[in-house]
Amino acid sequence: MRQFASLLFLFGFAFFLSVLVGGLPFGAAPMQVGQAIVEQNIEATGAANAVTGVLLAFRGMDTLGELTILFVAATAAGMVVERRKHGVSRDSVAGFILLAGAELMFPFLLILGAYVILHGHLTPGGGFQGGAILAAAFFVPFLANPGRAFQGHAMAFVEAFAGATFILLGIFSIFREGDFMAPMFLGTGEFGQLVSAGSLPLLYLALGLKVGAELGSLVAEIAAAPGSDDPLIEEPQAAKDL
Amino acid sequence: MNPEILIALPLLAAFLLPAARRIDASVGIWWGPLVVLANLVIAAMAWWKVQLIGPQSIALGGFAAPLGIELRADHLGLSAAVLLNLAVLLLWPRETPDKARVSTILLVLTGAGCGLAMSADLFNLYVFFELVAVATYGLAAANGKGEALIASLRYLILGALGSALALLGIALVYAKTGTLNLTELGGMSEALSGPAGIGALVLMVVGFGVKAELFPLNNWVPEVYAHTESRVSALMAGIISKLGILVLLRLIAEVFGGSPGLEFLLWVGVLGVVTGELAAYGAKDMRRVLAYSSIGQMGLVAVALALGGETGFIAALILMLNHLLVKPALFLIADAWPGSLKALAGKGRARPLGAVLFVLLALSLIGVPPLPGFWGKYLLLDAIFTNVTEGAGLLVGLILAATVVEAAYFFRIAARLFGSGEAAEESKIPGLPAVAALFVIAFLALSVQTGRVGDYLKEVVHGLQPQELRMAQSDFPDPAASVNGKGERL
Repeated sequence: MRQFASLLFLFGFAFFLSVLVGGLPFGAAPMQVGQAIVEQNIEATGAANAVTGVLLAFRGMDTLGELTILFVAATAAGMVVERRKHGVSRDSVAGFILLAGAELMFPFLLILGAYVILHGHLTPGGGFQGGAILAAAFFVPFLANPGRAFQGHAMAFVEAFAGATFILLGIFSIFREGDFMAPMFLGTGEFGQLVSAGSLPLLYLALGLKVGAELGSLVAEIAAAPGSDDPLIEEPQAAKDL
Repeated sequence: MNPEILIALPLLAAFLLPAARRIDASVGIWWGPLVVLANLVIAAMAWWKVQLIGPQSIALGGFAAPLGIELRADHLGLSAAVLLNLAVLLLWPRETPDKARVSTILLVLTGAGCGLAMSADLFNLYVFFELVAVATYGLAAANGKGEALIASLRYLILGALGSALALLGIALVYAKTGTLNLTELGGMSEALSGPAGIGALVLMVVGFGVKAELFPLNNWVPEVYAHTESRVSALMAGIISKLGILVLLRLIAEVFGGSPGLEFLLWVGVLGVVTGELAAYGAKDMRRVLAYSSIGQMGLVAVALALGGETGFIAALILMLNHLLVKPALFLIADAWPGSLKALAGKGRARPLGAVLFVLLALSLIGVPPLPGFWGKYLLLDAIFTNVTEGAGLLVGLILAATVVEAAYFFRIAARLFGSGEAAEESKIPGLPAVAALFVIAFLALSVQTGRVGDYLKEVVHGLQPQELRMAQSDFPDPAASVNGKGERL
């Protein structure tokens, strides 16, 4: 009965949406903003990748917000995950092929991640994507061998430093340009070069490192066994009996 | 000082905290409140600046709206920012096992809330709204109890659903008009008068309404408020629920004024009032009574918003301000008493001050003159009679009936408090908590100065449609003219 009601609701909602979407101008959406950005992006930001121009320059505050959503979600998840109970068995170490493969992939993933981040203002890619690749570089070896130690400490510092850099670049521009998060105080540079588009590459580097370290530390937190001195965690009866 | 700092400073502090606490664990305790205090000072300065030179429009990063994001340093935004910083500082949670992480979450909440209060760009509003939402999911689970975790999970699911709906509504607006800037959308209300515009408003009301405890998606409220620390409940009921309303207020005042979709908001509000007050009447413990009463009060605010016009908006603001001061104080005072209503018998006699103030504050929620709650409800009824042509009688009847129910359960609590019961031991019942006293003092100040506050609220409402900030409404402004080669404002 309940499932039937859900189904009915879904059909109703789908109908509601189709009526709404049916009223939209099909194929001729008003694209003034998009058009204007395509026309002005190169002149205004010097970024060959217009998407980056929008993400970091025109709508930099949104990107800061999205970065922070990831951060606060990881913080809250860490808070909840740390309260795991004792005696949860770990997955065993994977076989030789997985272990060796994970070790082999590590440097290549690092290089790919760094490349994707650093070329974010020139080619598709950027901080979020590159950061996810960097994080993968660290937790692929971890997945292969769940018992190994994880550099949570260093990760936390990289993350804090990168996050602070992103905002400090914004605050710094107040003194240079008078506006918060004005990314062009370094000049737009020569179009298509690695060093161009003002502070956009720096912002993406900070963003990429932060995202990478954040996802990495989340894994570290899940991995770390809860401290036995944690008063919140009651030992299961079975563990006490032993 | 640029008002953007109100967003940047707490976020910067939040980013640094996880590393700083590894150097010195005590950082987790003092860092957060100190930064919020600094932010409060900056917010107060920015607010004062608006009083002196009037509202300002800020093009973030120097990229003028429609291409960039516009922030409004206006009366509404900065008043909300000041109140938010103050409330976070006063209601800083105590019973948290993981102080550093909770500090981080609260810092993010403060920065995002300030952004939400000032942003005049639909998508930017959504980003900050989502940020506030994710921070509150964490906050709801902060005391580490199992029930709180489950309540938080339910809140997370409803919140995610709401956010998705709100985003859908924003996408509809963008598809229809091609812009996200509120100032510009204000001039395009014709394009939004069709089914797409009405549907977008309905989706956004439902979506943003999750945080504002509005009718369809509010059944997370009693569970979350019943199981979190009383300070967290006070913070969420007091100020965070108002942030959701703030978004709707800006949307309605600037873009959707007179839209037929407001009828939906009106009935959402009425249903919220009726169901909230009835559920509060049936509730068996104090926390849930206060939570359901909060749903009812926010329903009233929604009705006032839907009616719109100067009277409607001022009624909404007074009701919000009243609720903002009263509800946290009620949560904190009630914290000293046993949770179950049955166990309340005679508790008011041992230490009468808390109980007397509890009753006084409850009277304001009910709307007894001359307390501020009365003026809120009075203006609301006034707005109904002036704006609603048919069905005004039904509307007024429902709201008054809900008020009678509200009075019934609060008087029942008062009767229990002062009624006969086992003599409570003195030592077990603490007096009035200091923070609750501050809220009560602010409430008394509001009661004495209702006229002056009302005048200021009038100014706030007028500031919502700043003519000098409006662009030419006749045609779409040429975005090509808005940015020059260096990305500077023209």
